Amino acid sequence: MVDWLTMTIQMVSLAMAVWCLVSTFRDQPMLVPHLIGVGVLWLLVLGQVGAIIMAMVGGERPEEMVMLVSYLATIALIPPACAVWGFMERSKWGPAVIAFACLILPVLLVRIEQLWSPVV
Amino acid sequence: MSEAETTPGTGTTPNPDRSLRTGPGRLLVAVYAVFALAATARGTYQLVTRFDEAPLAYALSVFAGVVYLIAAVGLARAGRTSRVVALVSVSVEMAGVLVVGALSVFTSGIFPEDTVWSNFGGGYVFIPLVLPVLGLWWILKVHRSDRT
Repeated sequence: MVDWLTMTIQMVSLAMAVWCLVSTFRDQPMLVPHLIGVGVLWLLVLGQVGAIIMAMVGGERPEEMVMLVSYLATIALIPPACAVWGFMERSKWGPAVIAFACLILPVLLVRIEQLWSPVV
Repeated sequence: MSEAETTPGTGTTPNPDRSLRTGPGRLLVAVYAVFALAATARGTYQLVTRFDEAPLAYALSVFAGVVYLIAAVGLARAGRTSRVVALVSVSVEMAGVLVVGALSVFTSGIFPEDTVWSNFGGGYVFIPLVLPVLGLWWILKVHRSDRT
């Protein structure tokens, strides 16, 4: 697990959330810049998921393996899922969904960190 | 709350229930889906691995997850029936978070492990408490605008 990547994802995600909330209040639908933002976020998340999988292949095993894998699958799916939502809802509620997704992403990363290296 | 059942036949408009899943409804569906996943997955995992520790609390988590799932599907599908389904499941959720929340606050010991609804959803930034209120507000709002 790459620590700086977790920090970066959390920062980018929260920034995205604020931006999308602003768009919601400005009555904008999801636009190309939002989509690019979600794309960048997704790449970062996939990088982190990849790093964790590599470490697991390399022999590092957390205690709650199943739990960790399900969390990894969830964070990998959240960015594309909220983008699809943005396509379906061509109103200000599209960015609202993306903002919600970007708010839960940092929380999920905190949980993954706890699962990966539990503080005893 | 019984408004949905007492509706006279207003189903003659072209697509009366489409509005339930558009606009704010879409956000509600997203939030409900996430909570359904979180509560069911977590509860099932805990039931399977640590059944002896707190079967009641873990079973309650799974139950809450299923209620969230039904609500999400009810909100996401167009149709008069699905609106009633959404209304009932959101009401069950409202009752659940209030009853379980009150029990966990006033009689500590019944729930040794936290569930989504313990402490009125405090472990999940009180979203479980706010969500059914928003859900009911939205369903009734759409329902009213359909009748006029």
